[in-house]
This record gives sequence, C-alpha cells and structure tokens, in this order.
Amino acid sequence: MTTDPLISSDRPLEEVQAALHGWFTITVGASAEVERTFYDTFDGLLYHAGLTLSIQGGVRTLTTRDGSQPESGVTAERVAGVRALLPIAKVRLATQILNVLDERDKTVCRIVLEAPVGLRERARLVALRGYERERDRINELLVEGRSFGTSDAPLVDDAVLAAGGNPAGTSSKLDVSIDSSDRADTAAASVLSRLIEIMDANLPGTLADTDTEFLHDYRVAIRRTRAVMRELHGVFPATQIDRLRGEFKWLQEVTGPTRDLDVYLLEFERLRQVAPPGMRPDLDPLLAVLRSWHATAREQMESDLASERALALRADWGRLVTLLTGPGEDGRADAARPIGEAAGERIWRLHRRMVKMGRAITADSDPEQYHELRKKGKELRYMLELFAAPLYDPDVVKPLIRALKGLQDVLGIHQDRDVQAAMLKRLGEQVAVQPGGTAALMAMGALLERIQTEAKTARSQFAASFAEFASDAQRELVDETFKRAAQ
Amino acid sequence: MAKTKRDTKVLATYNIKGGVGKTSAAVNLAYLAARDGHSTLLWDLDPQAASTYLFRVRPKVKGGGRGLLRKRSRTADHIKATDHELLDLLPADFSYRHLDLALDQFKKPAARLRKVLEPLLKDYDYIFLDCPPSISLVSESIFEAADALLVPVIPATLSSRAYEQLDELSRRGRVGKIGGTQIFSFFSMAEVLRPLHLQVMERLRGIEHLKVLGAAIPVADEVEMMGEERNPVGVFAPTSAAAVSYEALWAEIEGRLRPDSLPKPAASPPVETPAVESPVVESPVVESPVAEAPPVETPPVETPPVETPQAQTPTV
Repeated sequence: MTTDPLISSDRPLEEVQAALHGWFTITVGASAEVERTFYDTFDGLLYHAGLTLSIQGGVRTLTTRDGSQPESGVTAERVAGVRALLPIAKVRLATQILNVLDERDKTVCRIVLEAPVGLRERARLVALRGYERERDRINELLVEGRSFGTSDAPLVDDAVLAAGGNPAGTSSKLDVSIDSSDRADTAAASVLSRLIEIMDANLPGTLADTDTEFLHDYRVAIRRTRAVMRELHGVFPATQIDRLRGEFKWLQEVTGPTRDLDVYLLEFERLRQVAPPGMRPDLDPLLAVLRSWHATAREQMESDLASERALALRADWGRLVTLLTGPGEDGRADAARPIGEAAGERIWRLHRRMVKMGRAITADSDPEQYHELRKKGKELRYMLELFAAPLYDPDVVKPLIRALKGLQDVLGIHQDRDVQAAMLKRLGEQVAVQPGGTAALMAMGALLERIQTEAKTARSQFAASFAEFASDAQRELVDETFKRAAQ
Repeated sequence: MAKTKRDTKVLATYNIKGGVGKTSAAVNLAYLAARDGHSTLLWDLDPQAASTYLFRVRPKVKGGGRGLLRKRSRTADHIKATDHELLDLLPADFSYRHLDLALDQFKKPAARLRKVLEPLLKDYDYIFLDCPPSISLVSESIFEAADALLVPVIPATLSSRAYEQLDELSRRGRVGKIGGTQIFSFFSMAEVLRPLHLQVMERLRGIEHLKVLGAAIPVADEVEMMGEERNPVGVFAPTSAAAVSYEALWAEIEGRLRPDSLPKPAASPPVETPAVESPVVESPVVESPVAEAPPVETPPVETPPVETPQAQTPTV
C-alpha cells in the first residue's frame, strides 16, 4: 500500500522542490480551505472492503484506502447493501496543489499538500493516468529526502481516531475469549457483558431508524442473552433471574412487529415478483398499508424502548451481570462449574431434545410444531456460537453448525411464509378499503397461493434436512463431544 | 460499433490533404468534450505526432502500432492522462507510418481498428481519432471504426476541388461500416473577409448531400499559437474568435450526434444551416469561455469518474 508521505516540515513547498530538484519541476496550483466529510456504514463495510468515501465541496469521491481508483463497477452503495452510509468524521483542511512536471513540461503528478486542523499533515500524490511510475519515483524522492515520513494509515483513520471512533467501525460480533476451565459464571458474564455492549451500541440507530440492521442486531443480542439466561439458568441468582427473563421476553416482543414489517418491506419487491406478472402493479395499495402499519409499529416500539420499564431493565441487568463475577454462590448452583462442562451438557441436551421434537413432526403437523423446533434450533445455534465455537474442536462444531443451519433455513422459509400468509390475511380488510383495493385483494389472493405453495415446498424439504441433522453419525459425535464433557 | 451502455461516439478528423486543420480540430473538440464533463480519449494516429506534441506527451507507444493492432498488450495500458481533466491521450508513435503494412497482415484489415478500440468503449463517452492525411488501409480502417468523420475543408481551395473532395467522401461514407458513417464537413482556416472564401462557402453549403456544418473555423493567430502554448485555444484564449468557433462547431456536432440528449434547438437537416454571412459571430456559446483550471475543491483530479458527479459541467 502506498501511503501519503507525512509532512514534518513547516515549509513543505520548499521541501518538495528540494527533494525533486534535478528530476522534476514544480508549479504551484490552486490552494483552498475545504471541509471533507468521510462516510462509512456503522459496521465499517467500506473500511473492510478497503475503500474510502468522502464528500468535499459537494463532490463525492470513492477511492481505495491507498487513494487509487477502485475496480470498475464498485460503488459505495453496492458495498453498503441495506446499511446506511453515515458521516464518520469531518476534517477542515488547507490544501495546496503542486503540479509536478517532467522535462517536456507535462504534468505527471499532482501533489496535494493537506494540512488538516489538529491532524498530521500529508502530501497526497495523485498520479495521472499512464504516469504511475513517475508517481512512485516522486514518492521515493520525497521519503528519501527525509523531510517526509511514511504514514501507516490514511487521513480518514486519523480523523476517525481523533473523533474517538474506530476506523474499522462498530462490530456486532461476539469475539469473547473464554476457556473451558473458566467458572461458568465468569464465562457467562464475559459473554453477557459483550452482548450488553452490542445492545447499547445498536440502540441509538434503532431509535433513529438509521437503517434496519440496527434493530436486527439489537434483537439478535436480546435473543442470545435470553438463550444464555435459559440454558445457563444455574449460574444466576434464582431470586432475580426469572423476573428478568420475563422482562427480556417483553423487550423482544415489543421489538418484534417492527422487525417483521421491516422484513416485509425489504422483501416486498421480491414478493411482488412472486405474484403473476399482470397483477404486480395491483399490489401498490398493500405496500401503502404495510408502510402505515410499519409507522405505527415503530412509534409504539420507540415509546417502549424509551420507557421507564426498558431503562430499569437495562440498569438491573447490568447490575446482575456484574454480580456474577462477585463472591457468594447462594442459590447459584452451577456458578463454579467449569463452563466447558456446563455448556457441553446444555448443548447435548438441546440436540437430543431437537431430535425428539423433529421426529414427532410429520407432513400434516401443525405449523406451530415447526415453529417450536425452529426456536429450539435458534437456542442451540446460539449456544454453539457463544460457547462451543471458542471451547470445542472446530472439526466437530463447524459441521454441526452447518447441518443445523441447513435445517434452520428450511424451517425459516416455512416460518416466514407462514407469517407472511397470516399477515396478508390480516391486511386484507384494510387493503380492501384503499383505492384500487379490490384489484389488490385479487392480487393478494394470487400471492397468498404462491406463498402457501412455497411453505409447502419447505415442508417437503424438511425431512431431508432434518435427517442430516439427526443422523446416527451426528448424534454419536454430539454425544461423544458434549455429553462426555458434561460428565 | 458494438452498442455499449455508454453509447460512446467515435469521431475521426480526416482529410486526404494535410495542413487543413485536422489536428487543431481534434485537439480543440476533444478538449471541449472533456470540459463539458464527458470522458474523452484522443488517439493520435498520425506518425507526425502533432496532437501528442500539443499535449506534451512523449510520442512513444511500447510495441508500436503493430503491437497495438495485434493486441499484444491492453490498449488501455498505453493511455496517458493529459493535463486536462477527463481528457486522455493514446499517443502517436513513429511506427504508425507503417500502419498500412501492419494492417495488411490481418484477414479483415478494415475491421481491425474497431477491434482495438472495443475494450475502451466502456471508459469513454467520446473517442477522437486524429488521422494522417492519406487514402489507404488506415483510412478505410478508420471509416469502419468511426461513427462520424469530421472533415475540415479550406474554402480557399478551388471550389471545384473542394466539392470533389466532399462529394467523394460522402459517397465513401456510405461504403463504410454497416449503418453508415456520418460525414460532417466544416470550413477550416476560413477568411471571412475574402470574397472568394465567402462564395465557396455559400455555394457548398447550398448542396444538401455534402452536409456542411454551419460553424466555420477562421484562420486565426490563436490557432497557430497552439504550437507555442501547447494547449487548446480554449485554455489560453477562451474568448478569441477561434475558441468561440470551436465551441459553436462542437455544439453543432454534438447536437447532430445526440439529437435527443441535448436541451438545445433540435439538430436541423443540413439545409437549415445558419446564414453564410457570419458563421463565426453567430455561434451560440459565446458566454462559456471556461478555462481548464480545475475547481479548487477537487484536488483528486484523477479520482474515479464513477463516483464523481460532474459538478462543474457548464451548460452549453
């Protein structure tokens, strides 16, 4: 990576001239005071894709992090996907352009001396097409000249760090290091503290509706928290845990409708394509009703999330998690048990329970039964990700997660279609009174039929994916790994 | 030419004769296209390398003309940025004088140039070819590759000669690539005070199938000074008669090439070209003498065009 040479002199123009003397001539170009704002998604998707997006004087520029042109077809929006591009840092800087000319007086490179307020000054080299070698030579000459240092990071990183941020964005990944022999309460506290961090980080974006991923990540953290509360019940003080479990259930419920409608809206165009071509435009009234429902649901959720009850939960929960690492084990049966053992047992039991539940499911089973199995599957998935992944042999854990994921995907499609079908039915009444409502109802009927067919297809795929998950070999492996650990 | 999303137009400045203002036209029109926010390439096909010289670029292409035709390396790798934003140059090379021989070695020599240009179409809105004066395989190849030929004609030439040249070309155009290459002639090095010039211009503009454009480039010191200044006239003398005439010429050409995309008087059939008396003075774009100085806020002059909205596009 070529980085901008850092300016350490207070007479950079003279230093550039001295360093390039005999090789190139310099003419002084425009100078300006400008403001540059850098953008990225909350989770730093551009950073991780090696890109930098900035806007200066209304001109938007996407470059690679080392300042070159990105590959053709790469756009910030494509990289960001459903995530919003947010301003992550703003710098005021004085710029001075120097044109570097070769022996024919042809400009081969532009050096932009950049003096950002409060940050390291830089000489940014902008190569002209076909003159990249000259740019590299100029870079060498400048750095050799000793008046310029090499930088380890681009300006955007300096600016984000100075503002107290992380150039790589805010991750909602777990990344907790625990050991099998750790006390179960300490290990649980590490995981739960990280989950609190994730919830706290995603709450403002959830409330501001910055993009749909904030709420999604917020809810995943809630569900993971609930899985730990349920599965490692014995590490918590029995007197408090049941009430708080109820509170987290409430928190998940009050955020549910908004998320369901988020998904519906995100998927709407795909869903529209499911309807017969002639009827697709007829679905517009449905979209209007969905949007108004979404607005109502969001309003309710925002008031719930800002309520006394939510604030009390956050405070109580924080206190309890801190308490886990404190002394005293009264009423905390599993507190001192090694986490490898405690988690292993729960994983083994969850797997066994799922196998039993799955075997009871037939093609005619109630959708509720599929749903219950899926919920159990989520719990197993979280336990595997939270505890098995850092503690157990990846050769066992990875294939198990893969088999589980295959099963969950099928169950997920089944569940989503079921929810969508139910929602379509509920929407009917309101859509009917909209302008164009009758045509919309007919289109919805056709849509419902397709959705139910998709649910049926998912059902027919259930047997095969469940068989893989519950195979003899898989069960033996689970027994061997997790049951043994528990004994 | 294969249609791309960009709808690139390939324009060749061409005349059998030398010294009629081909290079000046190519350089100035390409400059104007780029200044208007279009990604533009000029390929200097003339081994004399006059355009290359004007842009201060070394007249050297590694592997020479033969290498380019054989596509031994990516054509794009030989492109040099000029000092003007959005305007790139594919330089001349001394070996281009043997381009005929090199072309002759291919099965379909006339289609070869188009093949070489094809990978560049996605990167440019306009590709200008500055062609050597001749009738040869090279010119045939250029007719195949170009969407339009821009033919400068000096009205001083005996009127019958000028007529023959244009007539010959308009017929030749029809034998060009499928769909036909458009031919736009315009008067170059015109002396509007000389009765002979005026007579010739008037007569030839009256002949419909010759498609002579309304704007004419006057004989002017500024055009000659380009060699000294090594810049398009729009850069160092933006309000001169020459610069204004090139603006008018470009507006007219662009209007013909993209009649739908420009909010200006619809491109008219050639008969309706402006009156003969004052083609220069009447040019519609006098008020935009924009020099090339890059806007202050845009130091990353070479930043990717994809993400950089054309903020400073002047209205024509």
